[in-house]
Amino acid sequence: MIVEISHFLSLLATGLFFLAGYFSLFVSSTSYTSNLISRTYSQAFLLLASSFLIYVWLAVTDNFSVEYIANHSNSALPIFYKVSSIWSAHEGSMFLWIVFLSIWGFIFNIAVNNNDILKPKTIGIVSFILVGFLLFLLLTSNPFATILPIAPINGADINPVLQDPALAIHPPTLYLGYVGFVIPFASSLAFLINGDSNIKWEKSIKKWSVMAWVFLTIGISLGSWWAYYELGWGGYWFWDPVENVALMPWLAATAFIHSLSVSIKSSHLRIWTILLSILVFSLSLFGAFIVRSGIIDSVHSFANDPQRGLYLLAFIGIIIVTSVLLFISRFSMIKPSSNIKTLSKESFISINNILFGTLIFAIMLGVTYPLFYEYLFDQKISVGAPFYNAIFIPIVILASLFLFLSVDSKWSRGITIDLFKKPIAFSAIFSIIFVITISFLFNTTDIFILLSIFAGSLIISRYFIEIFRYLFNKKYLNPYSAIAHLALGLLLVSISFNSLLSTERALNIKLNEYEEYEDMKVYFKDIKLIEGSNYDAVKASFNIEDEKGNNFNLNPEKRRYFTRGQITTETAIHITPIKDIYLTIGDQLDDGSWIVNIQINFLIRWIWFSAALMSFAGIMLIFSKKKSNI
Amino acid sequence: MKFILIILFSINLSSGTLYEFSSDEDEKRFNSLVKDIRCPKCTAGSLASSNAPVSEDLKIKIAEMINQKKSDEEIKSYVVSRFGTDSLYEPEFNKNTYILWLSPFIFLLISLTIFLFRKRA
Amino acid sequence: MKILLKITVLLIPIIFIFMFFFLLTEKKPYPGADYKEFPIPNFNLESLYESEPLTNVDLRGDYIINIWASWCITCRIEHPYLMNLKNKRIPIIGINYKDERYDAIEWLGRYGDPYDKIIYDFKGLLALDLGVTGAPETFLVHDGVIVAHYQGEINNSIWSDVFDPIIKEKEMFK
Repeated sequence: MIVEISHFLSLLATGLFFLAGYFSLFVSSTSYTSNLISRTYSQAFLLLASSFLIYVWLAVTDNFSVEYIANHSNSALPIFYKVSSIWSAHEGSMFLWIVFLSIWGFIFNIAVNNNDILKPKTIGIVSFILVGFLLFLLLTSNPFATILPIAPINGADINPVLQDPALAIHPPTLYLGYVGFVIPFASSLAFLINGDSNIKWEKSIKKWSVMAWVFLTIGISLGSWWAYYELGWGGYWFWDPVENVALMPWLAATAFIHSLSVSIKSSHLRIWTILLSILVFSLSLFGAFIVRSGIIDSVHSFANDPQRGLYLLAFIGIIIVTSVLLFISRFSMIKPSSNIKTLSKESFISINNILFGTLIFAIMLGVTYPLFYEYLFDQKISVGAPFYNAIFIPIVILASLFLFLSVDSKWSRGITIDLFKKPIAFSAIFSIIFVITISFLFNTTDIFILLSIFAGSLIISRYFIEIFRYLFNKKYLNPYSAIAHLALGLLLVSISFNSLLSTERALNIKLNEYEEYEDMKVYFKDIKLIEGSNYDAVKASFNIEDEKGNNFNLNPEKRRYFTRGQITTETAIHITPIKDIYLTIGDQLDDGSWIVNIQINFLIRWIWFSAALMSFAGIMLIFSKKKSNI
Repeated sequence: MKFILIILFSINLSSGTLYEFSSDEDEKRFNSLVKDIRCPKCTAGSLASSNAPVSEDLKIKIAEMINQKKSDEEIKSYVVSRFGTDSLYEPEFNKNTYILWLSPFIFLLISLTIFLFRKRA
Repeated sequence: MKILLKITVLLIPIIFIFMFFFLLTEKKPYPGADYKEFPIPNFNLESLYESEPLTNVDLRGDYIINIWASWCITCRIEHPYLMNLKNKRIPIIGINYKDERYDAIEWLGRYGDPYDKIIYDFKGLLALDLGVTGAPETFLVHDGVIVAHYQGEINNSIWSDVFDPIIKEKEMFK
């Protein structure tokens, strides 16, 4: 049976990874062993990759003797979804996670020269981590289990909600981000084990870290975009535990890459940088734990087993505690040379680390509090958007203000920040005028929205001035930082306006009649029953005429999928540069009219555009050739 | 089959009061309440995001209560008494939740203080 | 200062690991069961068969309330156990939830009627007031006060795990 070949290859790979790890950490290093470790790792990777590719082949060729494939795929699915069904549930997605982790190791293995002092230990640590996860996979979450001797004729089918392109690529992109941080993590541990504090490990790790960060950013944005158009309620972020558990590593990763810059530039914050590299990877692992242990209810959680949870907890615990003990024992190696000067760039980044640390703390608290509350008081509570918004909004505004002030700061030098220097004054005045205008124009006194818009516009205007100076005065500009921070300002402004201006209503309209909403005429043209490939549906047609006389059609649906009887709403969205017109149908009333939910979502595309712009800045940095770039 | 489809998507109501509000504020209250109340049947998700029949019923009931001039507190306590204390996404601020609401800010204050009072150059 | 940092950095992960270990291994309350006590809400509906009015006054003493419908497949699975309870003389009040009268009566004719009385809750209003999220669900009522609620179909083991302790504690069904 072919699945047994795939299974065996994974077992072999586990053995070889163990050898690579063993050679790197328990055998004295020579150039011979460096080469050996590198080759062993590559061999192990090739075995694992082959195992996975065979598995993909099994899914694509509808091999339903494999239990996991029978439970999650179906012969009626297009090939794209047969492949993506592999990561639609626990065992398969864990397999993917592991393969991706090994890919990062492999690319690192090829790209870095065997003479690099830290390379062998880095590869070794990655290898041991792979062994741990592979054992987890093979012992508790085996994707290779078979249904024999009689294989089912067809599979159970994937959840219809997952039959969607964005949702098919969201997990792989996110995983690439999560596991990518194994490289800085392993590298920092290798640095500590090695013991020589003069090695510039931060510099060598910079681009790897930014690449992983880019994947995380894109992965999270894809999830948000998908949720918006698929789930039917027009929101883009729900503070669901699993969203939160992806946001935590992202925050830590952002703090980490900033801290990395400081350590590269001026050897400060080395302690922070190492701790952050341990923290980012730990939070990624923690995320995997939360989703797979069944401890938290979420739209995302995989069906579970406390036994798996315990194994993961033990494994993750070992990784984290070992790293921390290593850190403590080598602490003297990383002490900084001198202290950070007040109002230097380093001090601003330190403050940023503290602010982001607070946000991470708040999310961790929000996610775990219901668990402890139930344990202690025997009662359930939910912690959702109101809590997170209350914490995030003030802190993000504060961080933005510090970012704004930091543009003038210098490395290793404290300067007095003269608030009356032209750029700061210009930006501040412009932003104040802007906010006051908005307040009058849209008749709002919501202090949080206005402050957020103020913070965002401070950042945007300040960086525009910097760009202006670069173009006309040849003043030095770090393009990556400028673009990424501009994107942040845009993100703040977009989120604020979206919150301020978006509206929605549940209209009820009869066929061949229309209702008016916000200067638009919504005319109910048609409704019919249709049948798709694996569902039947009610499809409604609306013609909308806006205030300028433009006409467009929107066709929302309500589908019922055959296999599981599940009902989903398909939204119909009309996209314009400034707003989305968003339509879903609800239920039919006694009098024959239908409930039609209409929303106008302002600047929502700008939110994802900002995330894309931030990622773009990261990608630019990775491909840049300059040696000394930060 | 198709007949069943129509029945599946039909609900019956008392006449007139579905989601019709006498003022914009009322409508905003409705939209905001419906986002902050948990769907009783789903593993996770607000009433706003849910298609489940019991969510639809609850939304209609909430709209009715708004039109009956009930306050947000009264509506929330109605939901909590029937579907549990975890129906609200905003945890109350009481002695059991002080830690939740306050500790992030305490954390921030302590960290900033340590940073600001570190050995200076 | 350094020592403080080292200790904090070591303790935090260890504390977290222990916390999650406890959470993972603690005994979870019975899923689907809820013991919140509250009085039966007021209602004014009709009986399934003869359209005669039914209100709170008609329900007295100890009984169970069962939420069911002809469109509910799981209700068919639970049905034999309800007939069993009827044979043991446990009074069962049925609430027919969001169903068509005709379909409900035909269903009972086909499978049997375990109910003492049946309330016809077409719009699901009484169910909403009871905190029902679907069918089947069962409530244990003592002197007009709900003392236990189970979401899902009941059978022998669930009855003994969820309802028996309360029945014994409150000395019901004497």
